[in-house]
Amino acid sequence: MKSFLKMSYLDFKGHLGPFQVEEFITLDTMYPFLSLVFYCLLASFAFQTNDLTKWVIGNSYLLCTNVCIFSLGSSFYGERCYGRIRSIICSPISKLQIILQKGFFPCLVCMLTTTLGFLAGGLLFRLPFHKINFGMYFLILLFAMMGACSLGLFLGTIGLLTDQMHLILNTMSFIILIFTGSNFPVTQLPICGRIISQILPLTRSIEAAKMIFTGYDGNRLFELLVGEFIVGIVYLLLARVMVYYAEQKAIKKGTLELF
Amino acid sequence: MNVILQTIRLQIRNSWVRPMFRFCLIVNPIMNTFFLYMMFLNSKETNFLAYVVFGSGLMALWGCICFSSIGDINRERYMGTLPLIYASPTSFGYIIFGKIVGNTILSMSAIVISYFTARIITRDRIQIGSPGYLVISLILAMISFSAIALCIAYLLMISRKTTLYMNLLEIPIIMLCGFSYPIEILPQWAQVIAKLIPITWVIKLIRMSISGVISVREYCKMFFISTISIVVCILFTWWLYIIIDRQIRVKATLEVS
Repeated sequence: MKSFLKMSYLDFKGHLGPFQVEEFITLDTMYPFLSLVFYCLLASFAFQTNDLTKWVIGNSYLLCTNVCIFSLGSSFYGERCYGRIRSIICSPISKLQIILQKGFFPCLVCMLTTTLGFLAGGLLFRLPFHKINFGMYFLILLFAMMGACSLGLFLGTIGLLTDQMHLILNTMSFIILIFTGSNFPVTQLPICGRIISQILPLTRSIEAAKMIFTGYDGNRLFELLVGEFIVGIVYLLLARVMVYYAEQKAIKKGTLELF
Repeated sequence: MNVILQTIRLQIRNSWVRPMFRFCLIVNPIMNTFFLYMMFLNSKETNFLAYVVFGSGLMALWGCICFSSIGDINRERYMGTLPLIYASPTSFGYIIFGKIVGNTILSMSAIVISYFTARIITRDRIQIGSPGYLVISLILAMISFSAIALCIAYLLMISRKTTLYMNLLEIPIIMLCGFSYPIEILPQWAQVIAKLIPITWVIKLIRMSISGVISVREYCKMFFISTISIVVCILFTWWLYIIIDRQIRVKATLEVS
Protein backbone atom coordinates (compact mmCIF):
# COMPACT_ATOMS: atom_id res chain seq x y z
CA MET A 1 0.00 0.00 0.00
CA LYS A 2 2.86 2.36 0.94
CA SER A 3 4.58 1.65 -2.35
CA PHE A 4 1.28 2.14 -4.22
CA LEU A 5 0.74 5.56 -2.62
CA LYS A 6 4.36 6.57 -3.22
CA MET A 7 4.24 5.61 -6.89
CA SER A 8 0.83 7.30 -7.32
CA TYR A 9 2.19 10.47 -5.79
CA LEU A 10 5.30 10.40 -7.96
CA ASP A 11 3.19 9.94 -11.07
CA PHE A 12 0.93 12.80 -10.06
CA LYS A 13 3.89 15.01 -9.18
CA GLY A 14 5.42 14.22 -12.55
CA HIS A 15 2.22 15.34 -14.24
CA LEU A 16 2.01 18.57 -12.24
CA GLY A 17 5.73 19.29 -12.51
CA PRO A 18 5.67 21.44 -15.66
CA PHE A 19 2.53 23.26 -14.45
CA GLN A 20 2.90 26.69 -12.94
CA VAL A 21 0.44 28.18 -10.45
CA GLU A 22 -1.13 30.54 -13.01
CA GLU A 23 -1.63 27.64 -15.43
CA PHE A 24 -3.25 25.54 -12.71
CA ILE A 25 -5.55 28.40 -11.71
CA THR A 26 -6.54 29.31 -15.26
CA LEU A 27 -6.65 25.98 -17.08
CA ASP A 28 -7.70 23.60 -14.30
CA THR A 29 -9.91 25.97 -12.30
CA MET A 30 -11.12 29.03 -14.19
CA TYR A 31 -11.72 27.41 -17.57
CA PRO A 32 -13.90 24.57 -16.24
CA PHE A 33 -15.81 26.98 -14.02
CA LEU A 34 -16.50 29.32 -16.95
CA SER A 35 -17.74 26.29 -18.92
CA LEU A 36 -20.15 25.53 -16.07
CA VAL A 37 -21.41 29.12 -16.07
CA PHE A 38 -21.83 29.07 -19.87
CA TYR A 39 -23.88 25.85 -19.91
CA CYS A 40 -26.04 27.12 -17.03
CA LEU A 41 -26.71 30.40 -18.87
CA LEU A 42 -27.54 28.45 -22.02
CA ALA A 43 -29.93 26.24 -20.04
CA SER A 44 -31.61 29.24 -18.43
CA PHE A 45 -32.35 30.61 -21.92
CA ALA A 46 -33.21 27.33 -23.66
CA PHE A 47 -35.38 25.95 -20.86
CA GLN A 48 -36.67 29.40 -19.80
CA THR A 49 -36.01 28.75 -16.12
CA ASN A 50 -34.37 30.46 -13.18
CA ASP A 51 -34.02 27.27 -11.16
CA LEU A 52 -30.65 26.00 -12.43
CA THR A 53 -30.08 23.36 -9.73
CA LYS A 54 -30.05 20.42 -12.17
CA TRP A 55 -27.61 22.14 -14.51
CA VAL A 56 -25.23 23.25 -11.76
CA ILE A 57 -25.09 19.66 -10.47
CA GLY A 58 -24.75 18.12 -13.95
CA ASN A 59 -22.10 20.52 -15.13
CA SER A 60 -20.15 20.42 -11.87
CA TYR A 61 -19.74 16.68 -12.48
CA LEU A 62 -18.39 17.48 -15.92
CA LEU A 63 -15.64 19.59 -14.35
CA CYS A 64 -13.68 16.38 -13.96
CA THR A 65 -13.39 16.13 -17.77
CA ASN A 66 -10.18 18.17 -17.81
CA VAL A 67 -8.39 15.77 -15.48
CA CYS A 68 -10.19 12.49 -16.21
CA ILE A 69 -10.29 12.74 -19.96
CA PHE A 70 -7.48 15.03 -21.00
CA SER A 71 -4.86 14.34 -18.29
CA LEU A 72 -5.47 10.64 -17.69
CA GLY A 73 -6.34 10.09 -21.34
CA SER A 74 -2.91 11.27 -22.40
CA SER A 75 -1.01 9.57 -19.55
CA PHE A 76 0.33 6.56 -21.48
CA TYR A 77 0.87 8.73 -24.56
CA GLY A 78 2.95 11.00 -22.31
CA GLU A 79 4.97 8.06 -20.98
CA ARG A 80 5.86 7.17 -24.57
CA CYS A 81 6.94 10.74 -25.28
CA TYR A 82 9.11 10.82 -22.12
CA GLY A 83 10.71 7.48 -23.03
CA ARG A 84 9.41 5.64 -19.95
CA ILE A 85 7.00 3.32 -21.69
CA ARG A 86 9.59 0.55 -22.18
CA SER A 87 10.36 0.47 -18.43
CA ILE A 88 6.67 0.29 -17.59
CA ILE A 89 5.91 -2.54 -19.98
CA CYS A 90 9.04 -4.53 -19.10
CA SER A 91 8.78 -4.20 -15.31
CA PRO A 92 7.43 -7.28 -13.49
CA ILE A 93 4.86 -5.19 -11.57
CA SER A 94 1.17 -5.83 -12.28
CA LYS A 95 -0.04 -3.62 -15.11
CA LEU A 96 -3.37 -3.18 -13.36
CA GLN A 97 -1.49 -1.72 -10.41
CA ILE A 98 0.27 0.75 -12.72
CA ILE A 99 -3.09 1.75 -14.17
CA LEU A 100 -4.59 2.22 -10.70
CA GLN A 101 -1.57 4.22 -9.54
CA LYS A 102 -2.10 6.65 -12.37
CA GLY A 103 -5.73 7.18 -11.41
CA PHE A 104 -5.52 7.52 -7.62
CA PHE A 105 -4.50 11.16 -7.11
CA PRO A 106 -6.33 12.48 -10.20
CA CYS A 107 -9.48 10.90 -8.71
CA LEU A 108 -8.99 12.91 -5.50
CA VAL A 109 -8.30 16.09 -7.52
CA CYS A 110 -11.49 15.50 -9.51
CA MET A 111 -13.49 15.18 -6.31
CA LEU A 112 -12.05 18.44 -5.06
CA THR A 113 -12.61 20.26 -8.38
CA THR A 114 -16.19 19.02 -8.65
CA THR A 115 -17.02 20.00 -5.07
CA LEU A 116 -15.49 23.47 -5.45
CA GLY A 117 -17.22 23.96 -8.81
CA PHE A 118 -20.50 22.84 -7.34
CA LEU A 119 -20.20 25.20 -4.36
CA ALA A 120 -19.09 28.16 -6.51
CA GLY A 121 -21.80 27.47 -9.11
CA GLY A 122 -24.32 27.00 -6.31
CA LEU A 123 -23.46 30.35 -4.79
CA LEU A 124 -23.57 32.08 -8.18
CA PHE A 125 -26.92 30.60 -9.19
CA ARG A 126 -28.34 30.55 -5.62
CA LEU A 127 -28.87 26.85 -5.07
CA PRO A 128 -30.88 25.72 -2.04
CA PHE A 129 -27.90 24.17 -0.19
CA HIS A 130 -30.03 23.44 2.88
CA LYS A 131 -31.81 20.69 0.90
CA ILE A 132 -28.60 18.68 0.38
CA ASN A 133 -27.49 15.67 2.33
CA PHE A 134 -23.75 16.30 1.96
CA GLY A 135 -22.81 12.79 3.12
CA MET A 136 -24.86 11.32 0.28
CA TYR A 137 -23.44 13.92 -2.12
CA PHE A 138 -19.85 12.84 -1.37
CA LEU A 139 -20.73 9.16 -1.63
CA ILE A 140 -22.20 9.71 -5.12
CA LEU A 141 -19.23 11.90 -6.04
CA LEU A 142 -16.80 9.15 -5.03
CA PHE A 143 -18.50 6.59 -7.27
CA ALA A 144 -18.78 9.12 -10.10
CA MET A 145 -15.11 10.04 -10.04
CA MET A 146 -14.01 6.42 -9.81
CA GLY A 147 -16.04 5.68 -12.93
CA ALA A 148 -14.80 8.77 -14.77
CA CYS A 149 -11.15 8.05 -13.90
CA SER A 150 -11.56 4.45 -15.07
CA LEU A 151 -12.81 5.71 -18.41
CA GLY A 152 -9.88 8.17 -18.57
CA LEU A 153 -7.41 5.35 -17.87
CA PHE A 154 -9.02 3.19 -20.53
CA LEU A 155 -8.70 6.04 -23.02
CA GLY A 156 -5.11 6.49 -21.87
CA THR A 157 -4.26 2.92 -22.83
CA ILE A 158 -5.57 3.58 -26.35
CA GLY A 159 -2.61 5.96 -26.55
CA LEU A 160 -0.41 2.86 -26.81
CA LEU A 161 -2.01 2.06 -30.16
CA THR A 162 -2.55 5.41 -31.84
CA ASP A 163 -0.96 8.83 -32.13
CA GLN A 164 -4.30 10.61 -32.66
CA MET A 165 -5.09 11.05 -28.97
CA HIS A 166 -6.07 14.75 -29.26
CA LEU A 167 -8.78 13.77 -31.71
CA ILE A 168 -10.03 10.88 -29.55
CA LEU A 169 -10.01 12.85 -26.29
CA ASN A 170 -11.73 15.91 -27.72
CA THR A 171 -14.43 13.74 -29.30
CA MET A 172 -14.84 11.89 -26.00
CA SER A 173 -15.32 15.13 -24.07
CA PHE A 174 -18.19 16.00 -26.45
CA ILE A 175 -19.68 12.51 -26.03
CA ILE A 176 -19.63 12.93 -22.25
CA LEU A 177 -21.19 16.38 -22.53
CA ILE A 178 -24.02 15.13 -24.73
CA PHE A 179 -24.77 11.63 -23.48
CA THR A 180 -24.46 11.78 -19.68
CA GLY A 181 -27.65 13.78 -19.16
CA SER A 182 -25.86 16.70 -17.55
CA ASN A 183 -27.66 19.33 -19.60
CA PHE A 184 -30.83 17.65 -20.85
CA PRO A 185 -32.66 14.46 -19.89
CA VAL A 186 -31.26 11.26 -21.37
CA THR A 187 -34.85 10.33 -22.35
CA GLN A 188 -34.70 13.05 -25.01
CA LEU A 189 -32.00 11.10 -26.86
CA PRO A 190 -32.78 8.62 -29.64
CA ILE A 191 -32.57 4.94 -28.67
CA CYS A 192 -28.94 4.50 -29.78
CA GLY A 193 -28.05 7.63 -27.78
CA ARG A 194 -29.69 6.14 -24.68
CA ILE A 195 -27.62 2.97 -25.10
CA ILE A 196 -24.42 5.06 -25.32
CA SER A 197 -25.44 6.97 -22.19
CA GLN A 198 -25.82 3.70 -20.27
CA ILE A 199 -22.30 2.53 -21.06
CA LEU A 200 -20.75 5.84 -19.99
CA PRO A 201 -19.72 6.70 -16.45
CA LEU A 202 -21.33 9.79 -14.83
CA THR A 203 -24.79 9.18 -16.37
CA ARG A 204 -26.00 7.27 -13.29
CA SER A 205 -24.23 9.46 -10.74
CA ILE A 206 -25.55 12.67 -12.29
CA GLU A 207 -29.06 11.20 -12.07
CA ALA A 208 -28.38 10.16 -8.47
CA ALA A 209 -26.97 13.59 -7.55
CA LYS A 210 -30.01 15.33 -9.05
CA MET A 211 -32.20 13.06 -6.91
CA ILE A 212 -30.69 14.55 -3.74
CA PHE A 213 -32.48 17.80 -4.48
CA THR A 214 -35.74 16.36 -5.72
CA GLY A 215 -36.13 13.67 -3.03
CA TYR A 216 -34.85 10.16 -3.55
CA ASP A 217 -35.89 6.55 -3.46
CA GLY A 218 -33.22 4.53 -1.59
CA ASN A 219 -33.53 1.46 -3.83
CA ARG A 220 -33.16 3.47 -7.02
CA LEU A 221 -30.16 5.30 -5.58
CA PHE A 222 -28.50 2.01 -4.59
CA GLU A 223 -29.19 0.63 -8.07
CA LEU A 224 -27.57 3.69 -9.68
CA LEU A 225 -24.48 3.54 -7.48
CA VAL A 226 -23.99 -0.18 -8.08
CA GLY A 227 -24.38 0.45 -11.82
CA GLU A 228 -21.78 3.22 -11.69
CA PHE A 229 -19.38 0.97 -9.77
CA ILE A 230 -19.77 -1.85 -12.31
CA VAL A 231 -19.18 0.55 -15.23
CA GLY A 232 -15.99 1.77 -13.52
CA ILE A 233 -14.71 -1.79 -12.97
CA VAL A 234 -15.48 -2.75 -16.58
CA TYR A 235 -13.45 0.21 -17.89
CA LEU A 236 -10.53 -0.69 -15.62
CA LEU A 237 -10.57 -4.27 -16.90
CA LEU A 238 -10.82 -2.98 -20.46
CA ALA A 239 -7.78 -0.81 -19.77
CA ARG A 240 -5.87 -3.90 -18.61
CA VAL A 241 -6.94 -5.84 -21.70
CA MET A 242 -5.86 -2.94 -23.88
CA VAL A 243 -2.37 -2.87 -22.29
CA TYR A 244 -2.09 -6.64 -22.86
CA TYR A 245 -3.16 -6.19 -26.50
CA ALA A 246 -0.65 -3.34 -26.98
CA GLU A 247 2.10 -5.53 -25.48
CA GLN A 248 1.29 -8.40 -27.84
CA LYS A 249 1.16 -6.08 -30.81
CA ALA A 250 4.45 -4.47 -29.82
CA ILE A 251 6.13 -7.90 -29.49
CA LYS A 252 4.95 -8.90 -32.96
CA LYS A 253 5.53 -5.62 -34.78
CA GLY A 254 8.00 -3.75 -32.58
CA THR A 255 5.83 -0.64 -32.60
CA LEU A 256 5.58 0.09 -28.86
CA GLU A 257 7.23 3.47 -29.22
CA LEU A 258 5.80 4.21 -32.64
CA PHE A 259 2.08 4.00 -31.89
CA MET B 1 -2.32 41.51 -53.12
CA ASN B 2 -0.64 38.52 -54.75
CA VAL B 3 1.20 37.78 -51.49
CA ILE B 4 -2.04 37.81 -49.52
CA LEU B 5 -3.79 35.54 -52.02
CA GLN B 6 -0.87 33.08 -52.07
CA THR B 7 -0.76 33.04 -48.25
CA ILE B 8 -4.53 32.45 -48.07
CA ARG B 9 -4.19 29.48 -50.45
CA LEU B 10 -1.21 28.04 -48.60
CA GLN B 11 -2.82 28.52 -45.20
CA ILE B 12 -6.03 26.73 -46.26
CA ARG B 13 -3.96 23.76 -47.43
CA ASN B 14 -1.75 23.75 -44.30
CA SER B 15 -4.68 23.99 -41.90
CA TRP B 16 -6.62 21.24 -43.63
CA VAL B 17 -3.70 18.84 -43.22
CA ARG B 18 -3.78 19.11 -39.41
CA PRO B 19 -6.09 16.50 -37.78
CA MET B 20 -6.99 18.84 -34.90
CA PHE B 21 -8.13 21.52 -37.35
CA ARG B 22 -10.29 18.97 -39.13
CA PHE B 23 -11.76 18.04 -35.74
CA CYS B 24 -12.59 21.70 -35.03
CA LEU B 25 -14.01 22.16 -38.51
CA ILE B 26 -16.03 18.95 -38.92
CA VAL B 27 -16.60 17.08 -35.64
CA ASN B 28 -17.05 20.20 -33.49
CA PRO B 29 -20.00 21.69 -35.46
CA ILE B 30 -21.69 18.29 -35.78
CA MET B 31 -21.46 17.62 -32.03
CA ASN B 32 -22.41 21.20 -31.12
CA THR B 33 -25.40 21.14 -33.45
CA PHE B 34 -26.66 17.92 -31.89
CA PHE B 35 -26.05 19.28 -28.37
CA LEU B 36 -27.76 22.63 -29.01
CA TYR B 37 -30.64 20.91 -30.80
CA MET B 38 -31.23 18.76 -27.71
CA MET B 39 -31.00 21.83 -25.47
CA PHE B 40 -33.48 23.84 -27.53
CA LEU B 41 -35.81 20.94 -28.36
CA ASN B 42 -38.34 21.84 -25.68
CA SER B 43 -37.71 25.58 -25.72
CA LYS B 44 -40.41 28.08 -26.53
CA GLU B 45 -38.30 29.73 -29.24
CA THR B 46 -40.25 29.69 -32.51
CA ASN B 47 -37.23 29.62 -34.81
CA PHE B 48 -34.90 27.79 -32.47
CA LEU B 49 -33.09 26.08 -35.37
CA ALA B 50 -31.49 29.42 -36.14
CA TYR B 51 -29.96 29.42 -32.65
CA VAL B 52 -28.88 25.81 -33.16
CA VAL B 53 -27.33 26.20 -36.63
CA PHE B 54 -25.72 29.60 -36.24
CA GLY B 55 -24.85 29.05 -32.57
CA SER B 56 -23.01 25.81 -33.25
CA GLY B 57 -21.52 27.07 -36.52
CA LEU B 58 -20.14 30.20 -34.91
CA MET B 59 -18.88 28.24 -31.90
CA ALA B 60 -16.97 25.95 -34.26
CA LEU B 61 -15.72 28.94 -36.26
CA TRP B 62 -14.41 30.56 -33.08
CA GLY B 63 -12.85 27.22 -32.03
CA CYS B 64 -10.98 27.06 -35.34
CA ILE B 65 -9.81 30.64 -34.92
CA CYS B 66 -8.65 30.01 -31.35
CA PHE B 67 -6.76 26.83 -32.13
CA SER B 68 -5.43 27.81 -35.53
CA SER B 69 -5.33 31.50 -36.43
CA ILE B 70 -4.26 32.66 -32.97
CA GLY B 71 -1.77 29.83 -32.57
CA ASP B 72 -0.20 30.26 -35.98
CA ILE B 73 2.51 32.67 -34.85
CA ASN B 74 3.46 30.22 -32.11
CA ARG B 75 3.48 27.37 -34.65
CA GLU B 76 5.82 29.34 -36.92
CA ARG B 77 8.02 30.03 -33.89
CA TYR B 78 8.32 26.33 -33.02
CA MET B 79 8.95 25.34 -36.63
CA GLY B 80 11.70 27.95 -36.83
CA THR B 81 10.09 29.79 -39.74
CA LEU B 82 9.01 32.89 -37.79
CA PRO B 83 12.26 34.84 -38.32
CA LEU B 84 12.22 33.92 -42.04
CA ILE B 85 8.75 35.31 -42.68
CA TYR B 86 9.44 38.25 -40.38
CA ALA B 87 12.60 39.24 -42.23
CA SER B 88 11.29 38.58 -45.74
CA PRO B 89 10.89 41.65 -47.99
CA THR B 90 7.10 41.29 -47.83
CA SER B 91 5.51 42.91 -44.80
CA PHE B 92 5.00 40.50 -41.90
CA GLY B 93 1.57 42.05 -41.40
CA TYR B 94 0.44 40.98 -44.91
CA ILE B 95 1.52 37.40 -44.29
CA ILE B 96 -0.25 37.13 -40.93
CA PHE B 97 -3.32 38.83 -42.41
CA GLY B 98 -3.37 36.31 -45.27
CA LYS B 99 -3.03 33.40 -42.86
CA ILE B 100 -5.91 34.57 -40.68
CA VAL B 101 -8.19 35.35 -43.63
CA GLY B 102 -7.41 31.92 -45.12
CA ASN B 103 -8.29 30.21 -41.86
CA THR B 104 -11.47 32.24 -41.42
CA ILE B 105 -12.65 31.47 -44.97
CA LEU B 106 -12.10 27.74 -44.41
CA SER B 107 -13.64 27.89 -40.92
CA MET B 108 -16.81 29.56 -42.24
CA SER B 109 -17.68 26.16 -43.73
CA ALA B 110 -18.46 25.06 -40.15
CA ILE B 111 -21.75 26.98 -40.50
CA VAL B 112 -22.58 24.97 -43.64
CA ILE B 113 -21.75 21.72 -41.80
CA SER B 114 -23.99 22.80 -38.90
CA TYR B 115 -26.79 23.58 -41.36
CA PHE B 116 -26.64 20.15 -43.00
CA THR B 117 -26.35 18.39 -39.62
CA ALA B 118 -29.49 20.19 -38.45
CA ARG B 119 -31.26 19.27 -41.70
CA ILE B 120 -30.37 15.59 -41.18
CA ILE B 121 -31.42 15.59 -37.51
CA THR B 122 -34.68 17.50 -37.88
CA ARG B 123 -35.56 17.12 -41.56
CA ASP B 124 -36.81 20.65 -41.17
CA ARG B 125 -35.98 23.89 -43.01
CA ILE B 126 -34.57 26.91 -41.26
CA GLN B 127 -36.66 29.98 -41.91
CA ILE B 128 -34.48 32.89 -42.90
CA GLY B 129 -36.38 36.16 -42.89
CA SER B 130 -33.95 38.23 -44.94
CA PRO B 131 -31.44 36.07 -46.89
CA GLY B 132 -29.82 39.08 -48.59
CA TYR B 133 -29.13 40.78 -45.27
CA LEU B 134 -27.85 37.47 -43.89
CA VAL B 135 -25.20 37.27 -46.64
CA ILE B 136 -24.07 40.83 -45.81
CA SER B 137 -24.00 39.96 -42.09
CA LEU B 138 -21.95 36.82 -42.72
CA ILE B 139 -19.39 38.78 -44.76
CA LEU B 140 -19.15 41.26 -41.90
CA ALA B 141 -18.84 38.32 -39.49
CA MET B 142 -15.88 37.04 -41.46
CA ILE B 143 -14.22 40.46 -41.28
CA SER B 144 -14.90 40.86 -37.55
CA PHE B 145 -13.65 37.36 -36.67
CA SER B 146 -10.50 38.01 -38.73
CA ALA B 147 -9.96 41.38 -37.03
CA ILE B 148 -10.28 39.87 -33.54
CA ALA B 149 -8.03 36.95 -34.46
CA LEU B 150 -5.41 39.35 -35.84
CA CYS B 151 -5.52 41.43 -32.67
CA ILE B 152 -5.16 38.43 -30.34
CA ALA B 153 -2.49 36.82 -32.54
CA TYR B 154 -0.34 39.96 -32.23
CA LEU B 155 -0.96 40.16 -28.49
CA LEU B 156 0.17 36.56 -28.08
CA MET B 157 3.31 37.25 -30.10
CA ILE B 158 4.88 38.61 -26.93
CA SER B 159 4.17 35.45 -24.94
CA ARG B 160 5.29 31.84 -25.17
CA LYS B 161 2.17 30.61 -23.37
CA THR B 162 0.04 30.76 -26.50
CA THR B 163 -1.35 27.25 -25.99
CA LEU B 164 -2.63 28.18 -22.55
CA TYR B 165 -4.23 31.43 -23.68
CA MET B 166 -5.86 30.01 -26.81
CA ASN B 167 -7.50 27.36 -24.63
CA LEU B 168 -8.68 30.04 -22.22
CA LEU B 169 -10.08 32.36 -24.87
CA GLU B 170 -12.62 29.96 -26.34
CA ILE B 171 -15.35 29.86 -23.69
CA PRO B 172 -15.31 33.51 -22.47
CA ILE B 173 -15.88 34.86 -25.99
CA ILE B 174 -18.64 32.30 -26.69
CA MET B 175 -20.23 33.22 -23.37
CA LEU B 176 -19.90 37.00 -23.63
CA CYS B 177 -20.78 37.50 -27.30
CA GLY B 178 -24.00 35.50 -27.06
CA PHE B 179 -23.28 32.83 -29.68
CA SER B 180 -26.22 30.73 -28.57
CA TYR B 181 -28.35 33.09 -26.49
CA PRO B 182 -29.03 36.82 -26.50
CA ILE B 183 -26.57 38.83 -24.41
CA GLU B 184 -29.50 40.44 -22.57
CA ILE B 185 -29.58 37.43 -20.22
CA LEU B 186 -26.10 38.33 -18.98
CA PRO B 187 -25.55 40.62 -15.97
CA GLN B 188 -25.26 44.33 -16.77
CA TRP B 189 -21.47 44.53 -16.29
CA ALA B 190 -20.94 41.55 -18.61
CA GLN B 191 -23.13 43.20 -21.26
CA VAL B 192 -20.90 46.28 -21.17
CA ILE B 193 -17.81 44.12 -21.83
CA ALA B 194 -19.67 42.17 -24.54
CA LYS B 195 -20.56 45.38 -26.37
CA LEU B 196 -16.88 46.27 -26.66
CA ILE B 197 -16.28 43.15 -28.77
CA PRO B 198 -17.16 43.50 -32.50
CA ILE B 199 -18.38 39.89 -32.71
CA THR B 200 -21.31 40.68 -30.39
CA TRP B 201 -22.70 43.26 -32.84
CA VAL B 202 -22.21 40.98 -35.83
CA ILE B 203 -24.10 38.18 -34.09
CA LYS B 204 -26.94 40.61 -33.41
CA LEU B 205 -26.96 41.42 -37.14
CA ILE B 206 -27.06 37.72 -38.06
CA ARG B 207 -29.95 37.10 -35.68
CA MET B 208 -31.81 40.14 -37.00
CA SER B 209 -31.38 38.87 -40.58
CA ILE B 210 -32.68 35.42 -39.65
CA SER B 211 -35.80 36.68 -37.93
CA GLY B 212 -36.35 39.14 -40.81
CA VAL B 213 -35.31 42.76 -41.06
CA ILE B 214 -38.43 44.75 -40.20
CA SER B 215 -36.71 48.12 -39.92
CA VAL B 216 -33.93 48.78 -42.43
CA ARG B 217 -32.99 51.82 -40.37
CA GLU B 218 -32.42 49.59 -37.31
CA TYR B 219 -30.32 47.16 -39.38
CA CYS B 220 -28.22 50.01 -40.79
CA LYS B 221 -27.71 51.40 -37.29
CA MET B 222 -26.47 48.02 -36.07
CA PHE B 223 -24.35 47.62 -39.21
CA PHE B 224 -22.79 51.03 -38.56
CA ILE B 225 -21.95 50.12 -34.93
CA SER B 226 -20.46 46.80 -36.08
CA THR B 227 -18.33 48.51 -38.72
CA ILE B 228 -17.12 51.13 -36.25
CA SER B 229 -16.18 48.48 -33.68
CA ILE B 230 -14.30 46.50 -36.35
CA VAL B 231 -12.44 49.63 -37.50
CA VAL B 232 -11.50 50.43 -33.88
CA CYS B 233 -10.27 46.86 -33.46
CA ILE B 234 -8.17 47.07 -36.65
CA LEU B 235 -6.67 50.42 -35.60
CA PHE B 236 -5.84 48.99 -32.18
CA THR B 237 -4.20 45.98 -33.88
CA TRP B 238 -2.19 48.28 -36.14
CA TRP B 239 -0.96 50.27 -33.13
CA LEU B 240 -0.14 47.02 -31.35
CA TYR B 241 1.81 45.80 -34.37
CA ILE B 242 3.93 48.96 -34.45
CA ILE B 243 4.77 48.64 -30.73
CA ILE B 244 5.54 44.92 -30.89
CA ASP B 245 7.58 45.36 -34.07
CA ARG B 246 9.67 48.05 -32.36
CA GLN B 247 10.09 45.92 -29.23
CA ILE B 248 11.23 42.93 -31.29
CA ARG B 249 13.79 44.99 -33.22
CA VAL B 250 15.16 46.71 -30.11
CA LYS B 251 15.28 43.68 -27.81
CA ALA B 252 15.72 40.92 -30.43
CA THR B 253 13.09 38.80 -28.69
CA LEU B 254 11.14 37.42 -31.67
CA GLU B 255 11.92 33.79 -30.90
CA VAL B 256 12.51 34.24 -27.19
CA SER B 257 9.48 36.01 -25.74
